[in-house]
Amino acid sequence: MSAASTSPSSASLQPVPSRAGRGRRWSALTQAPWGYLVPAVAVLGALSIYPLIQLVRMALSDVGPTTVVGPWEFTGLTNLKDVWNDRLFRESFRATAYFTVVLLIIDLVIGYIAAAMLSSTSSRAASLTLRVMVFVWALPPLVSGSVWKFLLAGNGLVNEILGLVGIGPVDWLSSPDLALLSVSLVAAWASLPFSILIIHGGMLALPRDVLEAAQLDGAGFLKASRFVILPLMKPTLTVLTVLIILYAFRSFDFVYVMTLGGPGTETTTLPYLAYDTAFKTFEFGTAAAIAVISMLVIVVVSIPYVISVRREAAL
Amino acid sequence: MVQRSFTRTLAAVAAGALALAACGDSSDESSDETVADAGDDNASATTAASGGGDADEEAGEAETLTVWTYYVTGGQIDALEAQNDLFAETHPNVTIEHVQLPFDQLASRLLAGVSTGDGPDIVFDNVVVDFPTLAASGALLDLTPYWDGYADADQFPDSAVWRNDEGIYNVMSYTNLLAMFYNADVLNELGIEPPSTIEELETAMAAVRDAGEVTPLAMSGVASPEGAWLFMPLLLSTGMNYCSLEEPAVEEALSTLGRWVDEEYLPREAATWDQADSWQAFAAGDVAFGLNGNWNLGEVDGLSFEVGTTQYPANGSGDSVVFPGGEGIGVGAFTDNADLAWEYIESAWMSADASLINFQASGQIPTRGDLADAPELTENELVAPFVEAASSTANWPGSENTAAMQNAMGQAVSSVISGSASPADAASRVVSDINSEIEAGGGSC
Repeated sequence: MSAASTSPSSASLQPVPSRAGRGRRWSALTQAPWGYLVPAVAVLGALSIYPLIQLVRMALSDVGPTTVVGPWEFTGLTNLKDVWNDRLFRESFRATAYFTVVLLIIDLVIGYIAAAMLSSTSSRAASLTLRVMVFVWALPPLVSGSVWKFLLAGNGLVNEILGLVGIGPVDWLSSPDLALLSVSLVAAWASLPFSILIIHGGMLALPRDVLEAAQLDGAGFLKASRFVILPLMKPTLTVLTVLIILYAFRSFDFVYVMTLGGPGTETTTLPYLAYDTAFKTFEFGTAAAIAVISMLVIVVVSIPYVISVRREAAL
Repeated sequence: MVQRSFTRTLAAVAAGALALAACGDSSDESSDETVADAGDDNASATTAASGGGDADEEAGEAETLTVWTYYVTGGQIDALEAQNDLFAETHPNVTIEHVQLPFDQLASRLLAGVSTGDGPDIVFDNVVVDFPTLAASGALLDLTPYWDGYADADQFPDSAVWRNDEGIYNVMSYTNLLAMFYNADVLNELGIEPPSTIEELETAMAAVRDAGEVTPLAMSGVASPEGAWLFMPLLLSTGMNYCSLEEPAVEEALSTLGRWVDEEYLPREAATWDQADSWQAFAAGDVAFGLNGNWNLGEVDGLSFEVGTTQYPANGSGDSVVFPGGEGIGVGAFTDNADLAWEYIESAWMSADASLINFQASGQIPTRGDLADAPELTENELVAPFVEAASSTANWPGSENTAAMQNAMGQAVSSVISGSASPADAASRVVSDINSEIEAGGGSC
């Protein structure tokens, strides 16, 4: 069967008979629907694929401030090897992994509990809460990061409050033991509304009769969650987990605003290290190598997401 | 005698004092030989354009000049606006569009412009860190023809003219230096004299800490070239520079910082303070001493307490030595108004009138030799330590990797202040990193 004969929209796209040229073009389009993909492919190619190719080229070349314009000398895997053996890269990788774990724990655990609470409250209260959360989520990280930087400063509000009960002051952003945790928690605070919205949406889609049956069987929150809700929400939570990991591997803005990668290099995550290498020391080839390795990690992590999306599409 | 000595020092501000001596600069060797004549009063006011174009000609045609800076303090911005007004007197139809960029993004924006053929007409860059990179990248226009035709060129020391083998790419109409601000009210109350050595400073800080009213010290310790700039005088005093670092001396200097934190002289959060954060802490009145730069002088009048200044305390038996700072003024390589841009630099920045406007609004010290005796400078006690600091400066490393070297030192400083690394570990790491950068990037100090 041809697309022209089966597509319901093809009838409305029939050419005006008196205009033979236009007719042929329309006919070509309707018979080859891939033609409609041309704009999207062009945009994708220009804005995503071409920069990616350039990034990989840069990672495989010796590119510094004086060579960024003009031909790049191909150096093979030298940059990637140098980066892989670099102490700071390994520390940054560990910092990014830590950051990711904190985000996953906060966003999934607290996100689930908060979503469950919202689902059980009145629709009006839930609606109001969700609106506030959307506002938090929509705040630019540069703004919310700056606010948190002031709140967590030595003489900031958080320490002032702790001081009232005889605690502190705590070096939230300058202690090597706390700085990364502090930045991670702030990033988690910013991304939590998104997680709650996704999980809440998933809960609303659960079959009510199954939930009511579990309730009638005497299942409390924990049992219902373990045996009914979580299994049913596995696809949603899988996708959310992947998205959180992707978000964590792009963890630049809060680090930039709150600590500039410090103290020392304690909060230097991979994206911040790539930025620092490219735009402070102008070693573009090395920075591109850091970005490529980060990208490979993200690609590996994204595979379950892609599989999940395909499965859902096949249903 | 003090006055005569002070005047002599002022006379040296623009020349020998400003021994910036960018490494790789062929003028290094002669920089100390260029001595400004304090008695020479031949400075022109707003200068006529030497690079082509004429003010009257320009008057008939509307033009816009785009100026990129990373200025943040009120004094610097006030100065820029006042100097723009000065330029407008002779160029009423020229609009100055001031674009403020984040400090750490200006150089990268310039480099990005190289690939697209775009950029500002005039730029104020962090010359002491980024000059080797920017000059070699093609982001800046060679100013040699303009400088060669500039009538007042002899008023400026060689060290205010930044060049590489290809040409001149930055000029400096002012310099910024480090010294120590102090809260005179606190010191008077505690009977403390302004310290001139690190030993005296530590004694003073102990007294302030024991009094328990204010924090003894505020300084930037951020993991960037800013933190390195504030720390390096501890090493420069001992005759050591980036190109001659020895691990034991670096460890000792870093140990000094660590001790300041342990003794509660310096807050641990200084590990993430840039210079603006550090100034805010001092300006709030809760700190006795603040190591910072003269660009903050413009804000001193607005503070609620009396402020004094003294030179950065000398470490050991050496003299107080600091790195000279300030912005290099350059013309963007892709400007369509190169002649007009140079007129702007000459008239609004390099001229005597402009330099004095800048000094009065922001505290930034003119590099012109003929201003050494200007009463605006000589009668200002707060400025004197900065002027004296200008007479004892160290050479910046001229390596292409100078930014990486300073970044590595900043990270070491921040690590020690925060306690994430011991002085020994940090010293070992930073000396190794910097030696690698020197080896890769060449240059000297």
